[in-house]
Amino acid sequence: MASSLAAESRAASSRDPRPRGRSLWPAATLAAALIALPFAGNDFIAYQVALFLIYGIATQGVALCWGRLGFLPLGHSLFFGLGAYIAGGAAKAGAAQPLWWLAFPLALLLPALLAWVVARLIFARSMRSGPYFSLITLAMTMLGFLAAQQWSSITGGFNGMGNIPEPPGLERYSTLYWLVAAAAVASTATLGVLVGRPLGVLWRAIAQNEERMQLFGYATDHVKANAYAFSALLAAGAGALFATHQGIVTPQAMSFVLATEFVIWAAVGGKASPLGALLGAVVVGYASAELRDHFAMWEVFVGLLFIAVVRFLPDGIAGLAGLAGFGGKPARRNANVAITPLPAPPSSAPKQVPALVFDDVRSTQGGVRILDGLSFRLAGPGIRAVIGPNGAGKTSAFNVLTGRLPVTGGHIQVGGRDVTGWTAWRVARLGVGRKMQVPSVFADLSVRENLSVALWAGRLHGRAALRRAPQAWCTPLLEEMLGCFPELAASLDVPASRLSQGHRQALEFVMTVLPEPHLLLLDEPCAGLSPAETQRMIQVIVRAVRRLGAGALLIEHDLAAVAALDGEVYVLHQGRMLAQGSLQDLQADPAVRAVYAGARK
Amino acid sequence: MDRRLFLQSTAAASVLGVAHPVFAADAVKVAVMIPQSGPAGLFGPSAKACAELAAETINARGGLLGQKIELLFGDAGLAPAEASQAALKLWKGSGAAAVIGMHDSAVRGALVGLFKGQVPYFYTPVYEGGECAKGTYVNGETPQQQLQPVIPWIAAERKPKKWYLIGNDYIWGRNTNAAAKGYIEKTGAQVVGDEYLPFTVDNFDASLARIRDSGADAVLVSLVGGASVGFNKAFASFGLADKALRLGTLIEENTLAGIGLANAKNLYSSAGYFANIATPAAQAFAAAYGKRFGPQAPALNGLAESTYEGFLMLEAVARKAGALSVAKMDAACEGASYSGPRGAVTMKARHVEQDVYVADVADKGFRVVKTFSHVSSGQTCKA
Amino acid sequence: MDGGTLLHALNLVYELSTLALTTLGLAVVFGLLGVMNMAHGEFVMIGAYSVVAVQQWGLPTLAAFPLAIAVCAALGWVVERWLIRPLYRRPFDTLLATWALAMLMRKVVEAIWGKGFRNVDDALTVAVPIGNTSYPAYRLGLIALTIVLLAALVFWYRRSSAGLRVRAMTGNPMLAQALGIDTQRLASRTFIVGVVLAGAAGVMLAPLIRIEPGIGVDYLLDAFFVLVVGGLGTLGGLAGGVGVIGGSQALVSSLFGQTSGYAVVLVISILFLWLKPDGIFARR
Repeated sequence: MASSLAAESRAASSRDPRPRGRSLWPAATLAAALIALPFAGNDFIAYQVALFLIYGIATQGVALCWGRLGFLPLGHSLFFGLGAYIAGGAAKAGAAQPLWWLAFPLALLLPALLAWVVARLIFARSMRSGPYFSLITLAMTMLGFLAAQQWSSITGGFNGMGNIPEPPGLERYSTLYWLVAAAAVASTATLGVLVGRPLGVLWRAIAQNEERMQLFGYATDHVKANAYAFSALLAAGAGALFATHQGIVTPQAMSFVLATEFVIWAAVGGKASPLGALLGAVVVGYASAELRDHFAMWEVFVGLLFIAVVRFLPDGIAGLAGLAGFGGKPARRNANVAITPLPAPPSSAPKQVPALVFDDVRSTQGGVRILDGLSFRLAGPGIRAVIGPNGAGKTSAFNVLTGRLPVTGGHIQVGGRDVTGWTAWRVARLGVGRKMQVPSVFADLSVRENLSVALWAGRLHGRAALRRAPQAWCTPLLEEMLGCFPELAASLDVPASRLSQGHRQALEFVMTVLPEPHLLLLDEPCAGLSPAETQRMIQVIVRAVRRLGAGALLIEHDLAAVAALDGEVYVLHQGRMLAQGSLQDLQADPAVRAVYAGARK
Repeated sequence: MDRRLFLQSTAAASVLGVAHPVFAADAVKVAVMIPQSGPAGLFGPSAKACAELAAETINARGGLLGQKIELLFGDAGLAPAEASQAALKLWKGSGAAAVIGMHDSAVRGALVGLFKGQVPYFYTPVYEGGECAKGTYVNGETPQQQLQPVIPWIAAERKPKKWYLIGNDYIWGRNTNAAAKGYIEKTGAQVVGDEYLPFTVDNFDASLARIRDSGADAVLVSLVGGASVGFNKAFASFGLADKALRLGTLIEENTLAGIGLANAKNLYSSAGYFANIATPAAQAFAAAYGKRFGPQAPALNGLAESTYEGFLMLEAVARKAGALSVAKMDAACEGASYSGPRGAVTMKARHVEQDVYVADVADKGFRVVKTFSHVSSGQTCKA
Repeated sequence: MDGGTLLHALNLVYELSTLALTTLGLAVVFGLLGVMNMAHGEFVMIGAYSVVAVQQWGLPTLAAFPLAIAVCAALGWVVERWLIRPLYRRPFDTLLATWALAMLMRKVVEAIWGKGFRNVDDALTVAVPIGNTSYPAYRLGLIALTIVLLAALVFWYRRSSAGLRVRAMTGNPMLAQALGIDTQRLASRTFIVGVVLAGAAGVMLAPLIRIEPGIGVDYLLDAFFVLVVGGLGTLGGLAGGVGVIGGSQALVSSLFGQTSGYAVVLVISILFLWLKPDGIFARR
């Protein structure tokens, strides 16, 4: 069955009427310009521009991490320099013994591997590593610089590794340009294409709301590390070209000064646009090299430009020039173009309701006991309501389950496994879905893209992230939900930030159920909704839960809604379970009445 | 325009001394690579001034092989790869027909690898010896020149028993100290310490403590520029100037100004040139320099003056060879000579035989206390 | 204690003092206000260049102090108002904006004084005899001044009413505002104090270092590492960080050379940034 599905989707994608090659325009324009350059100028100018194309490829690596994924590598010259030294060594050895040229790819692979390992280690620790990650990359580059200077037997020390030959068959001042130009075009094309594929959407989603991604079960630290490794591959490849282009590699190729220049070029050129980043390096870098000697104020000007860009122009000149269509944010899909829906592969989430056990869970922060021995058991399908006064620990109970709040005592089990202290995505993969109190969606993605990201959770494996087909996936549940919320179906191409509170609640709820989790944590899904919307939302929740056969915990303040659910109710108070039972029983319970004043809505 | 045509026209232009069609027809471009930034940046202005004076002097007597010299300056104070790019721009981009280089050995290595003997390259400053690349002509003092007669003389004058060698961690520092060891041991003294520091080191406390602990009474200072200034200042501030004499092979007027006369007690410098040498040729040069650049001129010093010598050597070799091509100049350079501010200078094995002066520091600055004539460079490059 | 050991001990105290001195400004700005000021080292550099300027203009060297204070205060006010304040709760953007500022400051100084390095004359080149050895008088003065500055800062923070207000603001900015404390002005003044401290450090160090436009980065990184390792917002953090970073650098340098010393500092800092970014003595 899986193979026939695959065959169907392959056939379907070949009939896909969406415009193709749109993402290749920037690369094509670049190719045209680079072909014309040696004829418009001369070979020496082409040689000089080639150097900045090389820097530009590394800058694209920085722009990928920073502009797409939202973390800033301040030390990318480390990989550039490593690639340069390894390639230089291989080339020099290759001049004597041609077999050494086979070691050339190591110049790209080893730095990428290093980047991957480092990123996995750092991102796994915490989601909020942003600025510290930048400082770590900077410190690593400085270490690399020191090593390059000290290990003169390998690197040539301060004098550098000189006399690096050109690749066989190419000449430094003429034909090598074509190799560099081809690499620049290939890099721009690849990045431009990737940005439009599901992987590109996932990247943007991670940059906007990493926590939400983790709640879907995406291992965001893996995705970030893979992207970082890819960006290091680009930088190392650029370094390898640098070695053969210049013929000499010195520790400056691994210095923080160069790393800073990559960041500046990416910022000024446009960090969200691969072509922008490349042109940033070429234009600003080349202009600097030429004008630096003539105008003392040139560098001051570049400094001011950088500050202005950081402060006022986050998307650089590419953003300003409206180059968003050229490899920047993918153009809004033309709503009139029909997308043939494809059936999505089955979700890999577990198919049964995992039993949920809280066993004397405690959580203390800054002296405040947020959870103070919370214990309960939940098994089997059905909606349980969770009520209690403010500060009772309702949202905190969800937070300890999804790793947002550290557990200082007790255990939590999901589906028989002890998940105390697990990261959010690991818990999510056990079939747990969570809807946040403040609707947490991807603000700058369209509604369609928001839904796609949710749909892909648990379904998008390996190379599927690089194909177009997943963008046309559909499930019966999705269709049903869109039927329940026609306002979402009508605004598929609207960015989620422009939705009203009510629509955003609806969107987040739909996103929460799309991965088909069997344990749902719903935190005030009706907050901010009118009575009519509340009623509809409750109905949809009941319908979805029944359809999935899932168990759900619903935090709610509106007792009319709770009454309508007619299921078991948990009352929390001061971080502990106060009572549980049907709503009538609880309303009669004097302990509940004592603490829970103002029960009527 | 394709590459072969470009290179052919440049080669033709350099052989015939006729510049590239785009530029003025009568001038020969000479690229001058001097440090305008970085640790040796303080030599930049004086070197530039000497280069300009040299070009004007040569132009006044008819120019280089009949053509007027036009100067192109490049910053050799950058890291070797960047300096190499700057030189490339002057050579291939602007059509320089010869290169005069006054910069450190790391940059020299990069430039030699860049030029690959296709353009005449005159390297002028103090250096470590051993450069025999095709098309490269070296005017600078070598360690053998600066130390071989001088160390025995100091041994006789001051009788030091324990020498401490300190240098920057690169080939010049290491080679100088290595050469010195041999000469020191021949005088019967002992080498009690030998250490190397990176260029960017600011804090010499640990080294000074070691020098003090070793009981050395003589220190060979093979540090460059800012490191030399910092070290020598700190040396004196710890009261070591009275305990040990210092000998440096790259302590010239700018460095001395940075160190300060008060901190230069018992400091000796061995070099091919000092601004206040009393020979008629040197005084004439100093007068011409002062007249040309006025009282605010950058202080004359050995490294800057070596740039001037480089131009004189270029003129001498070019005249002997009859052309500005490497093939002809390599064949003709042996024995080419001229008389300049340093005295009589003769090219042997692509290095020079020249006079060496030893100076200590009195209240007005350097004071030459000994002169050695026609000292051989100790190099054995085959043509 | 014999002369050699005393000399080594004094050198160690000197190195720790300079590290503490140059970190002080960032301890105020990053430790108290939480602003990642990547231009901290450049303020130190400007302090050093004030001495160069003052000597160029033929004024007495002490005039460098008011000059540096004035320039840093003015610059600090402008920067806080237009670069830091709009980006207060976004550490990433603050990092980048101040990085850009650092670059700009470097380039302006390069345009005025060139890329080469400078030295300034120092007045007290005499060596003062101490115990069995002698030590440069200027350095002794610097050590003493650092201790005085540290003590004054702690006293101000703990005992004065301004210090109390700053503590309130950093502990709970909303509540502080509700109580009528003008947190904006207070933050601005605290930032200015931080950068002025950096400038003052530069003035004091000028005769002892090689003054170049590029020296800022080393001071910045050292200061950051000290604060990351030691922990933000406490004096114990500053002392602990200086001890660990300065001490390990001194120890390894004396055994294996300066480069190894710096490499060890980098490795320690990377480990802390990765595993314990709150440092040894975190505020909470």
